[in-house]
Parts: sequence; structure tokens; C-alpha cells
Amino acid sequence: MRILSMALALAFGLAFVSCIEKEPLNAECDIEGASLSGEILLNSDVDDVHDSVTIVVKNYVNVTSLAPEFKLTPGATICPASGTVRNFTDAQEYTVTSQDGLWRKTYKVAVVKNNPIVLKSGFEDVRLITTSQGGKYDEFIDIQIDPDTEDHVSTLVWASGNSGFALTNGNKPPETYPTYQAAYSLPGEPDGKCVAMVTRSTGAWGALVGKPLAAGNLFIGKFDPSNAVNNPLQATQFGMTFLDVPRYFSGYYKYTPGEVYQRFNESTNKLEAVPGKKDECNIYAVFFESTEDMKRLDGTNVLSDDNPNIKAVARFSSEQRRGASEWTYFHLPFVFRDGVQIDPEKLANGGYSIAVVMTSSIDGDYFSGAIGSTLFVDEIEVKI
Amino acid sequence: MNNKKYLLIVAIILANAIVVCAQTDRPTSIYKSILLGLEYELNAGVNIGGAAPLPLPAEIRSIDSYSPNLNLYIGGTVTKWLDMDKKKWGVGVALRFETKGMETKAMVKNYGMEIIKADTKLSGRWTGRVQTKYQSQQLTIPVTAIYKINSRWKVNAGPYVAVVFSKDFNGYVYDGYLREGDPTGLKWPFSDGARATYDFGDELQSFQWGFQGGVSWRAFKRFSVNANLAWGCNDIFKKTFKTVSFNMYPIYLNMGFGYIF
Repeated sequence: MRILSMALALAFGLAFVSCIEKEPLNAECDIEGASLSGEILLNSDVDDVHDSVTIVVKNYVNVTSLAPEFKLTPGATICPASGTVRNFTDAQEYTVTSQDGLWRKTYKVAVVKNNPIVLKSGFEDVRLITTSQGGKYDEFIDIQIDPDTEDHVSTLVWASGNSGFALTNGNKPPETYPTYQAAYSLPGEPDGKCVAMVTRSTGAWGALVGKPLAAGNLFIGKFDPSNAVNNPLQATQFGMTFLDVPRYFSGYYKYTPGEVYQRFNESTNKLEAVPGKKDECNIYAVFFESTEDMKRLDGTNVLSDDNPNIKAVARFSSEQRRGASEWTYFHLPFVFRDGVQIDPEKLANGGYSIAVVMTSSIDGDYFSGAIGSTLFVDEIEVKI
Repeated sequence: MNNKKYLLIVAIILANAIVVCAQTDRPTSIYKSILLGLEYELNAGVNIGGAAPLPLPAEIRSIDSYSPNLNLYIGGTVTKWLDMDKKKWGVGVALRFETKGMETKAMVKNYGMEIIKADTKLSGRWTGRVQTKYQSQQLTIPVTAIYKINSRWKVNAGPYVAVVFSKDFNGYVYDGYLREGDPTGLKWPFSDGARATYDFGDELQSFQWGFQGGVSWRAFKRFSVNANLAWGCNDIFKKTFKTVSFNMYPIYLNMGFGYIF
């Protein structure tokens, strides 16, 4: 009987296998990477949320005739072709078509020089991102202006975990996300806005992938979807090239922890209430050396004492993390680690980066915290 | 689990019934039935097969593993012989309490899905691996035409209806990536043991119908060996359910024994 049933199972299996149809052509049309020949490229970054590519070149490079090369999804084609010489004074558009010809995406490719950035924000400017599920969330931006010519030089885009939360949030509006712009600001600034960060439940969806909670967060860097499910600590890629040595990090905040602190138990995949424990927020900035093997910091190493790349940290004290029921000013000095020397040449060539990180739950990266913990931040500045 | 216990109890009762009947030989009521052209048979056996889309859509790139699981059935058949003397042609009505299930691992490419949970919808394309476990318990009533070829061989064919009362269809996706919305959407890779579970048990149909056909070989005076192919004709899922975009049909071979009174 056993042999018979095995034989029959095999027959069914074979019947299935023999029915496998010819493989469909690829439907994807991504730019996976960009490069420039010669020694002029500092770095390049593909932004999948906005379908854009930013290529950073050395400051002496003439951008009027450059021929970037692109790595694409297998089988996809790009127009104009990879290696076409174009004028990158303004961003140029490229259209990528999938192998099956049914899908296309238009990318904006910008070539920028290594300009100094000004880290000073009242969180007044947001772009509304429409999700694939019809929802919308806020993305904070700071327009960088040349102080002499008043030209728009570049746009600093703040990162958050909103694009991940979007998967669980259907077609809901921005204020239902963990990070959004609130019309609630400092006294004396009646029409002002600020950034609100709220620790949220990810509901039935988050539970499916073992991520039951999402802390509100906002940081300088990039949220990387390719790590979000597998290694969430590495999804928060902190840091951006900074051409100056920072001295102080200041701003205003207001924080109310949520009612019940819950710890995520990885073995049961569930949140467990921890009686008596109060949630804490966290705000800090890290100045670090950007090396080939550590271009950005992530959740595993951003505050590590033994991370040799970290040069200076400006961070909240435990008292500050516990909360402030009214708007409260903070002024954090960058504390340089023992024996740290900043190489001026390396600094000018973009060898150092800065990360600014804010979160409504300090353990949010481990999916622990109190749902409802709310952090408001306004008027932050990194002084050089 | 309760259903399994229930199944076991039914099996024990029927097994006892067979033994009791065998010991007492044919009671007079059976002789009366024989005179009316009625014949009774108790059946038990296993179901081997699966629920599969037909033909397999191109999005399914490979079936990496398949296990039919142990699906038991138990039931009885009443045959009314239409021609009393020759007993060539008859009509059979059966009642079968059975389980149908399977476990598969498959690889899909750019598979379109839409899942609704707590009023929130997520649609996208999955490329990667899918583990599926299907398990249902049902009461099946086939009505078949029976033709006796000779004293040992019988064939039968006809439609069946089934009421499904225990429904499981769950599993997880792993080792792949989700594209939000359509193939141009954000890419969310799953690897290193990361998985997303699903449970569509509530979306299974309570009613199934199809056709069955097969042969019966009378090995001994009272014992027969039976093999029937039951081919489902309606999707195992409710019409309103869109996540599994293709229809899946239950196709099972029932193999077992019969005791003829």
C-alpha cells in the first residue's frame, strides 16, 4: 500500500511537472545601479520610492557631457541607451522597459557635486508620497540654497520607515502613519508645523511578518526596503556626506510615552506587556568616517562604543529620553571620542558623514515600545 | 483535531459493524434486499491527489515538493440492480466521509495576489517560494451508473456532490520578494528564514461537485478492491476570493477496500 501510494504520488508529481509552462519574460524594469567611467564618481544612489538616481561627482567635474552606465533588471532595456553622452546641468530622464515589454518606469537621473549641506529644519516642507495601495504619507524635505546666489542647490530628503508601514496601511491618509507632519508647533509660531512621530501597531499585517509594532522615526540617510523584512536593523541606513565638523545639535521636543510598554518576543512572535516599564524616545546625532566597508551606519552599529568609524556623538541623556510634557529645548554637544583626529583633506573630499536620528520608541528597532508614544520635534539645527 | 477524533470514532464503529455482520452471516433483511435487487457495500481507503489549477499557469515555475498526506475515507454504497436476473446495469448511491488534503512547495514568478485583512488590502506580485497545506473534511454523495463486466469486474461513473465542513488552507511565502502593487512597485525581499504566513481556510467553498469514475475488483466473495478518480469541477475557493487568481480543482484518486453484504 505504501509503495503504491508513493508511486501514485510520484505520478501526480510528474503530471504537474510535465504541465509547467514556458517561463514568462521578466516584468520588472529597474535601474539597479549607476556608474561613470574614470575616477570622477564619488557615489551613486538609486531611490526606488521616487524612481530617481543621484550621482555624486567630484567638485571639479564638468557635468555638461557625461555618459552614465546603468545596471538594469535582466532583459530590460533603457532609452537613451547606457553610455549615451548627455548634459547633466539639469536632471535627465531615462525610460526603462521590461523584457516582456508590458511595464516601464521613467527615472530622473541627477548628477550633483559634493555640496555642503545645512542641517537646519523647522519641518515645514513635505512631499506627499502615494503608495501602491492608494495610501499617502509625508516625506520631509529641506531645500538647500546656495547662500551667495540663493539658487536651489539640492534637496535634502529625510528618511523614515513610512514606506515599510505603507504595506500594512492600505489607502489610509498621512496622519495614520508613524511619521507625519503635524500642525502643532512651538508657541509664537502660530502657523508652524513640526514632525510628529508616533509608535503604531502594524495590525494583522505586521503580525504576518513578525513585526507587530512600528515606532515613528525620522533620520538622515536612507530606508532600505531590501533589508526591511530580513534584517530590519540594517534597513535604517544612517548618514549623509558632511563637509564640516559639527559642534552642537539643538532643537525643541515634546514627548509623551504610551500607556503600556510591550516587548516583542521573537520566539512567540507576539508583544508582551512589561508592567512598570515606561517607553522612552531617543534623539541623537553621530559624526562618522565613511569608509568603503561602512558607507553608512545602521541599527546594529550606530551607537556602538567600539565602532572605530564613529568620531563624535551628540545624544539625549536618559532623563531627556523619558519625556517632556511641554515643548523643551535641547542643546547637545558633539562629544568627540578619545584621540580622534579629523583629517581636513578627507573632510573636504567627502570622507565624513553625519547621521541625525529621532524615534518615538528607543527599542523600536527591536519592535518593542508602547503603542501611542508620541514625539514632536521642531526647529532642529546642527551647528558647525 | 476534534474532527480527527470524530473520524476515528466513526471508523471504529464501522469496523465493528463489519465484524459483527461477518460473524452473523447475512441477516434476513439482507436477503430481502437482494431479492429487491439491492446490494450493500462498506468502503474504506485513502485519497491521493491534490487541488491544482488546470492547466498550471505560467507563473508557477516548479513544484519542488508534493506530499499527498494521509487522507482517509470511509463510507457505504447502495447499488440497485436494474436488471434483476443478469445484474449487468445498476445505479449506485454512496455516502462517503472523507478527507482531502495535500502539502506542496512551489516556486512562482511574478504571481499577482491581493490579500484583504482587517479591512486593509495589499496587492502585489510575488516571486519566490510558496508552501501550501490544504486539508478538508467532507461528506460526499456520488450517484453513479454501474456496469458489471463479469463476476469480478465492475466499472462505475457519475457525478458527485460534497458538503465541506472542515476547511484548512494555509502556508507561508519565503525566499523571494514582493513587488508592491505591480512589477514597477517597491521591492521587498524575503530571505534568511523571513516568511509571511497566510490562512485562507475561511475562503474555501462549502460545496463541491464533480465527476467520479473507476473500477471495482471483487477479490473474494465479500471483499472488493476499488479505485475511483474523483474530479472536482468547481473551484475550491469562494467566487469572491481573489488572492489565488486561478481556479483550483480537487482531483483525487480513492483507493480502498469494500465489504459486500
